[in-house]
Amino acid sequence: MEAASAAHAHVEHPPEANRSSRVEPQLLGMLLFIISEVMIFGAFFTAYFFIRVVQGDPWPAPGMEIPTGPVAINTAVLLSSSLTMHWAQTSIKNGNRFGLRAGILSTLFLGICFLTLQVNEYVHVGFAPHDSAQGSIFYGLTGLHGAHVCIGLILLSMVTIRAFRGHFSAESHRGVEVPGIYWHFVDVMWIIVYTTIYIL
Amino acid sequence: MTARLRAPGLHRGLIGAALGFALAYAIVLPVRAAQGLHPVLDGDAVTIVGLLSAPLGFLFGLGAFDYWFYYLTGRPTRPEDHSGHGARSWKDYFRVNTDHKVIGIQYTVTSFFFLLVGGSLAMLMRAELAQPGMQFVSTDGFNGLFSVHASILIFLFVIPVFAGLANFVLPLMIGAPDMAFPRLNAVSYWMLPIAGLMMMASFLVPGGSFSTGWTAYAPLSTDQPIGQLFFTVGVQFAGASSVATALNFLVTIITMRAPGMSFWRMPLLVWANFSTSLLVVIATPFIAASQFLVLLDRALHFHFFDAAQGGDVLSYQHIFWFYSHPAVYIMMLPGFGIISEIISVKSRKPIFGYRMMAFSLLAIVVLGFTVWAHHMFVSGMQSWIRIPMMITTAIIAVPTGIKVFSWLATLWRGVLHLDTPMLFALGFLTMFVIGGISGVMLAMIPVDIHVSDTYFIVAHIHYVLFGGSLFTIFAGVYYWFPKMTGRMFDERLGKLHFWLTFIFFNLTFGPMHYIGLRGMPRRVADYSQQYAGWNLFISLSAFVVGASTLVFLYNMVSSWRGGPRAEANPWRALTLEWQVSSPPPIFNFDTVPTVVGGPYEYGVPGAVHGVFRKPGEVRPPTPAGGGATQVARE
Amino acid sequence: MIVIGLIASAIGIAVALSIDWFPIAGSTQAKKVDTLFDVLLIASVPIFVFVEVVVLFSVWKFRMRPGDELKDGPPIHGNTLLEVVWTAIPAMLLVGLCSYAYVTLRNIEHKPKHEMVVNVTGQQFAWSFTYPAANAGAKPITSTQLYLPKGKSVKFNVRSKDVIHDFWVPEFRIKIDAVPGITTHYRITPSRFGSYPVVCAELCGLGHSTMRQTAHVMAPADFQAWMQRKQAQASKAT
Ligand code: HEA
Ligand code: HEA
Ligand code: CUA
Ligand SMILES: [Cu+2]
Repeated sequence: MEAASAAHAHVEHPPEANRSSRVEPQLLGMLLFIISEVMIFGAFFTAYFFIRVVQGDPWPAPGMEIPTGPVAINTAVLLSSSLTMHWAQTSIKNGNRFGLRAGILSTLFLGICFLTLQVNEYVHVGFAPHDSAQGSIFYGLTGLHGAHVCIGLILLSMVTIRAFRGHFSAESHRGVEVPGIYWHFVDVMWIIVYTTIYIL
Repeated sequence: MTARLRAPGLHRGLIGAALGFALAYAIVLPVRAAQGLHPVLDGDAVTIVGLLSAPLGFLFGLGAFDYWFYYLTGRPTRPEDHSGHGARSWKDYFRVNTDHKVIGIQYTVTSFFFLLVGGSLAMLMRAELAQPGMQFVSTDGFNGLFSVHASILIFLFVIPVFAGLANFVLPLMIGAPDMAFPRLNAVSYWMLPIAGLMMMASFLVPGGSFSTGWTAYAPLSTDQPIGQLFFTVGVQFAGASSVATALNFLVTIITMRAPGMSFWRMPLLVWANFSTSLLVVIATPFIAASQFLVLLDRALHFHFFDAAQGGDVLSYQHIFWFYSHPAVYIMMLPGFGIISEIISVKSRKPIFGYRMMAFSLLAIVVLGFTVWAHHMFVSGMQSWIRIPMMITTAIIAVPTGIKVFSWLATLWRGVLHLDTPMLFALGFLTMFVIGGISGVMLAMIPVDIHVSDTYFIVAHIHYVLFGGSLFTIFAGVYYWFPKMTGRMFDERLGKLHFWLTFIFFNLTFGPMHYIGLRGMPRRVADYSQQYAGWNLFISLSAFVVGASTLVFLYNMVSSWRGGPRAEANPWRALTLEWQVSSPPPIFNFDTVPTVVGGPYEYGVPGAVHGVFRKPGEVRPPTPAGGGATQVARE
Repeated sequence: MIVIGLIASAIGIAVALSIDWFPIAGSTQAKKVDTLFDVLLIASVPIFVFVEVVVLFSVWKFRMRPGDELKDGPPIHGNTLLEVVWTAIPAMLLVGLCSYAYVTLRNIEHKPKHEMVVNVTGQQFAWSFTYPAANAGAKPITSTQLYLPKGKSVKFNVRSKDVIHDFWVPEFRIKIDAVPGITTHYRITPSRFGSYPVVCAELCGLGHSTMRQTAHVMAPADFQAWMQRKQAQASKAT
């Protein structure tokens, strides 16, 4: 992006494209991508709906215990990471590079905590995906969400590298903003997954 | 030598693929050993991981991610010098290129390659079906044939070829120098050959290709030989490709229109791709998820679709059709766009009811999400769902009817240029109305209960997909051929192609309505004696349809190499892509044009759609592109 | 042109109705489905003919003649009345067709007072038919062929042991999937003597095209006799 506009002497250039909308292309692209991500979750929730509601299978399956309590900690961890992400975003908007770095690092840290806790939960939860359909959908939805946390973390670590190389400034911070939106989306999605799987 | 291997390109791509495959072993062996699973070397597991890692390795090697890799790790990125724009020799089509025109041609040519593959499988199928009894293939081999036939033609021909044509013309039409995300565009393209080769490669693995139809119903698909995975994973790549392209189209259309190009001045092809892209972004994740679930069931023994363990068998069909019904409109709406362009230009009249044409597209998008269960009338789902689905399905005929009647009204009192693109457009009108009407019959539950899963459905499929989509694709390819290649095609061969296809298409698929109603089920390698006569007739006609494709192929190849040079605007069209040279200059425009009127103002004296103004130079609007585009003033 | 359209529609409808589209009607339900299809044909043919007449007439009347190469048509952009008409007429037609289809559906799924039950089980790659003790006497009877008495309403309960199959007798016009984990059903009343194919209509694996058996519709007395023979065999076997 920044690099793309750098002039280069010898080669001809395409004309400047007209901007026909106030929305930024990158932002719009991310929003559309999130729509399709929501639909992926939607499909998994459809499977959940069919197993739990249409089939009327007992929930949780006999002999299966869902660790609602312990996972509440997990939820708190992930939600606070949204706050630190927000901190990073507002900092760089005000040109505060320290805030950006601290915010993004703590977000990264909280995200990794979440994943570790999640894996820990898988190890101790006491049932496997192949025990029952309920087990399948439990692992399916939390696993799908976990995969998204992973993607989010990869994006964030890229942002971190660039933040420490001083690539962002108050004027140019789209590279923080767009992954940030994705991270908030991952958090919101977790609230839905947590509510449907653990609480309801 | 090493420098050549390190440079992005096909060599490095192949090395990347090999490394990716090695990675699959490297992942699977330790994991299985650690878990104490036997045998440690499991072909299934390696294949699953390899199907994902090898293509990613290939893309990495090819250089598809180079820029992002540099960017995201904060390394200095090479400034975009636009050296990737344009194709100077045929070799440039075999590397990562970010020019939408090059990508458009890559897309289109690749898709047509897959048409030939899918069509050849159909020829094998018709050879087997020419007589009752088994002649050439086993029953399972036959199941593989139609499964791969349909999957390739749907996921690697119809859907991407529309994306390819639009890739070429859409940025030109809206006055944009390129797509919004050119690199993403290149990645979208390169996922296609991966998906296609994967599906074709399934014929080579033990147990044969996937053989559960393009619908891959669980629980049949969850306990099939390894070939099934090539569908399960192949669809992910094709799906990711089409989501990425759709996203790209939407952002391009929303943010990069030329000054003056309001939504109500966009050509209908742009509208059609806008609607289609909405469908793709919203619906495609569902098929990705459906195949994820199948993969989990098959590979890790999850129980989403295993009734014995509390899974729900019908949920697969609901998830699948929630994508695949909208998918049939993904395969039709861009065609509607192409037809609107052609009918208006070739009748020399404004398109009739422009706004209603756009609104009906949006209406189809919305309604398309409400009808999926019409594929499940006999599936044993809750019977009450059938009634609302019947009604919504029938309602879709109304916006579609608006389009058909508006095209008819556009023809009325026009000056019809009956050349090849127009013939295909008119052929489309005829064939699609038959296919649509048989669709409405299918929506009527009692009729569907009898004909579902028979050749009546096969007839419907081909009337809408071949007579509908494929005819529009042919029309579009002929129409934009001069623009894409800078050459004219051979009009006589084009007409020959049309008439052969039109006549023998009907002789092939028309009788299928009849034998379907008479009780011949679909997806069978063998059938009872009473259908023998018609099947022989169908097979013979199908071979002629196949041969007619060769006429098309010959025409395209020879005209591209040695056809007469095309003018900038041979059809005297108003839309922007015709106002630049054929083929268009490397950067599309010197300056972005300004749009001053509607796209179809044929017959309005002196009307223009867009003007090119040098910056700072203010002139009264003149028709862009020079004399040939001058609207005739009598 | 209207006259040509009307004549062509009339001819089209006559031809369409004269073709014998369906296999023999073997159940009372079949006739209703056939009638619905005929109604659909009568509604569809004029639509198709209308489109074709307009296309062909335009091609004949408005095609470009030598010398017209640079001519344009009149700049007609639309006509609200026309657009309303061609939205409203198909909509009304479809409401009519849907209502009629709904009535037909109610008719063919109507539950009669007395009916016999046959349990149908699909597995790769054969059907088996079980007549529960309630109808069959002492013991349930299982058969690999389907036997039905003419004129008596039957309810099929359809199940599957492995993957999805589909239980279809084309002459009865009704089919339903056999889905693992659930029981599906349909009803018909056989109305004609004869032997008809039982077809598996849902792709179920490599033997899908060979999953064929036979349904025999016989006089009630013959059916009773068959049932007794089967009972005798069953008790001899144990
Ligand atoms: C390009 C692809 C395409 C398109 C556009 C359509 C369009 C339609 N389809 Fe089709 N369909 C398929 C591709 C498509 N279909 C495929 C691939 C399958 C099989 C999948 C499988 O099982 O493998 C299928 C299956 C299928 C079924 C399920 C059958 C079964 O398996 O039992 C049904 C049932 O309702 C149906 C209905 C319709 C309807 C009502 C339309 C409507 O959109 C059509 C609307 C158009 C018109 C009606 C014509 C123009 C209108 C007028 C001239 C106005 C006046 C008309 C009237 C008043 C009638 N289709
Ligand atoms: C765009 C989609 C598309 C297209 C273009 C076609 C094109 C053709 N289809 Fe296909 N078809 C489907 C989509 C399509 N089909 C789908 C979705 C199904 C359902 C599958 C399922 O049940 O899951 C299906 C199923 C299907 C069946 C039913 C199988 C079954 O249920 O048992 C049959 C049977 O005849 C058939 C035939 C043909 C034929 C003869 C062509 C021809 O028109 C093809 C013509 C083109 C060529 C032949 C290629 C070019 C020629 C050459 C490469 C040279 C070689 C030529 C010679 C040897 C003469 N198709
Ligand atoms: Cu059983 Cu097909
Ligand atoms: Cu559909």
